[in-house]
This record gives sequence, structure tokens and C-alpha cells, in this order.
Amino acid sequence: MKASEVARAVVETLPEALCVSSLGTATSALRLASADGPHFYYGAAMGSALAGALGVAEALPDRAVVALLGDGELLMGASTLWSVSAIRPGNLTVVVLSDGAYSITGGQPLSSSPRFVEVGNALGGIAGHRVDNVSDLIHALSEVGRPVLIEAELDEHEWPGPSPFVDPAKVRIEFTAHVSTSAAP
Amino acid sequence: MAQAAPEETRGRSDARLLDWQASVADALVSGGVTVAAYVPDTRLQGILARLQEHGLLLRSLTREEECVGYAAGQRMAGGRPVVLMQSSGLGNAINALASLVVPYRLGIPLVISMRGTLGEANPSQVPMGRATLPILTTLGIQSARLRTAADAEQCTRGVMSLAFEAGECAALILEPTLGGGRESI
Repeated sequence: MKASEVARAVVETLPEALCVSSLGTATSALRLASADGPHFYYGAAMGSALAGALGVAEALPDRAVVALLGDGELLMGASTLWSVSAIRPGNLTVVVLSDGAYSITGGQPLSSSPRFVEVGNALGGIAGHRVDNVSDLIHALSEVGRPVLIEAELDEHEWPGPSPFVDPAKVRIEFTAHVSTSAAP
Repeated sequence: MAQAAPEETRGRSDARLLDWQASVADALVSGGVTVAAYVPDTRLQGILARLQEHGLLLRSLTREEECVGYAAGQRMAGGRPVVLMQSSGLGNAINALASLVVPYRLGIPLVISMRGTLGEANPSQVPMGRATLPILTTLGIQSARLRTAADAEQCTRGVMSLAFEAGECAALILEPTLGGGRESI
């Protein structure tokens, strides 16, 4: 899979979901897949995107929320998985773009395999899935009722296209407007 | 109720509520705060206990950066979060403040319990104590330094107004003279 295919599967499978993307590949892929839809795109703040998604999910329990994260990003903020396990928001899905590298800084490898699925399953209350194809990804995205953590293994490196250097004011204004005007499905 | 002497509360998690702690908590609730994200601290304990009495949602998270990210998500989703931390934890939160909260103009009130200044006995706390206010100032985050119980309600309301009405992250600094902390004063 490519990052853009993962993001497109998220947007097409959960079209009403509010997405939070981490800096770099995730933000670029989500911008491409959603045609710059009203999502919460991070432009920096590496390591805190899952916390941001957790905040959105708790504030809006009737809305589906997807955190689309790089694997280096989640490794930096991995302790939030413990908070997700404690709070267990049933409307939160975490999708990790797993390529074993820090793409935004040039593809340097992570120091080791993060094994997020095993961590999530060990913590409890989190449904962990590792997928390597779009069909299995779509199936995992359909799980509801408890936090889901999907490690989407990428086998093809690409830069999705749009810049990850978003305009913070535009992101905030469009996301907050979308939240206040769109109803839960 | 007369304010308890600091000596009566030092180091005790079951310490009785101090007047200023009640005033800060009551002002947060009456000002419409919807959730408090925090990392524990001795001086904050009374505030948190009072917030719990009010039935406010409390979230003890794993580190201060996570609290800021969580609050950012809450704010983006229309919530009115407050973040409570010790000044030493500000060091853990700088990136989330500098590259998320400030550029996205997310009005989030911070309640920061000072360590490393007046009466500090732990040398390892002193450098961050010196740095706390300059860091906030450099980031453009206004601070209100609360030294006496008489100013607690006004300062808390002022910080909330900056955050929720002006849309500027702002900090309420809890100085050691308030009591309820670990300093030898």
C-alpha cells in the first residue's frame, strides 16, 4: 500500500469522520484524499497528534474521529496510547502509516519496529489490527464500539503531493466551522 | 474561611481546601470550562478536588505535552478546556504550545504551579523555575502571577477571558506565597 491509498480508504470508508493528521506524509495524504476537506491537519507539533485526536473524540462523542499518523509521530507520542486505553473512546480510530522511517526528514529509519498493535492489545480496550492491503484496511475501519488501532504497512514509498505546511488559521477556521455546522450521522 | 497556613498542607494529598484553590476552581467552572487536563502537582491538588466536586470532567494524562495536545483537540471541537501543570512540566509542553496552540491561535487557559523559585529546596527545580516566565513571554503567552487569595477569582477570570474570548493562550501562574505547595516558606 501507499500512504495515499490508506488515506483514500479512510475518507471513502468513513466519509463523515473528522480526521486529525500528523505532520508530513499523513497531512499530505489526507489533503490529497479529501481534496483539502475540513480536517485537523497538523503542520508541526510532532508527537501530539494522537492527543489532539483524543481531545476531539472526547469533545464530540457522537462523531467518528480518525487519527492518521506517521509511525515516527506515534512513537514520539506513544504514551497517549495509555490514555486511549484508560479513556476508551469508542468513536476513535487510529491509523498508522507504517513505513519504518521518518519521511518528512528524508526517510531516516526508526530505531526499531514500534509494534503498536501488540502494545495496543497488551494495554487493553484497544482493538489492534495490522493490515497490508486496502481490503483488510477497509474491513478494520468498519469496527466500532471501542478504540481501534490499525497499523497499515506501506510497501511503496511516495510523497502524496500536497504540501504538509498548512496555514494554521485556515485549518482552525474551516475545521471549527465544519464541526459547528455538520451534524453527527 | 481563613486561609490555611502552607505548613498545614505541605505534601498531603488530603490537605484541606485553601481559599484560593476554591476561588480558582469556582471561577473556572463558572467561566464555562468543560474539561481539565492535568499532570498532578501538590499545589494543584485542591483545585482539582474542587473541580471534581463540581462534577467537571478531569483527565489525568501522561505528560504535559499530551495535555496541551488534548486541549487543542478539545478547543478545535468547540470545547473549553483548561490545562493544569507544574512549571517543570512546561518544559515538556513547549513544542505543542509553540507549534500548535500559538500558531493555530487556540485560546487555552493554562494553570501553572510554580516550582524552583521562592522557597525552593530542590536544586534541580531551580533552572526551569527561572525559565518558566521567559519561555511563556517568548512564545507570546501572557501570564498573570497570582500571589494572594484575594486576587484568585479576578486573575482566573481574566486569564479565561483572554483564552476563550480573545482567543489567546494565557497562563495563570500560581506563586509559592499562595501556599499549598512544597516550598519552605
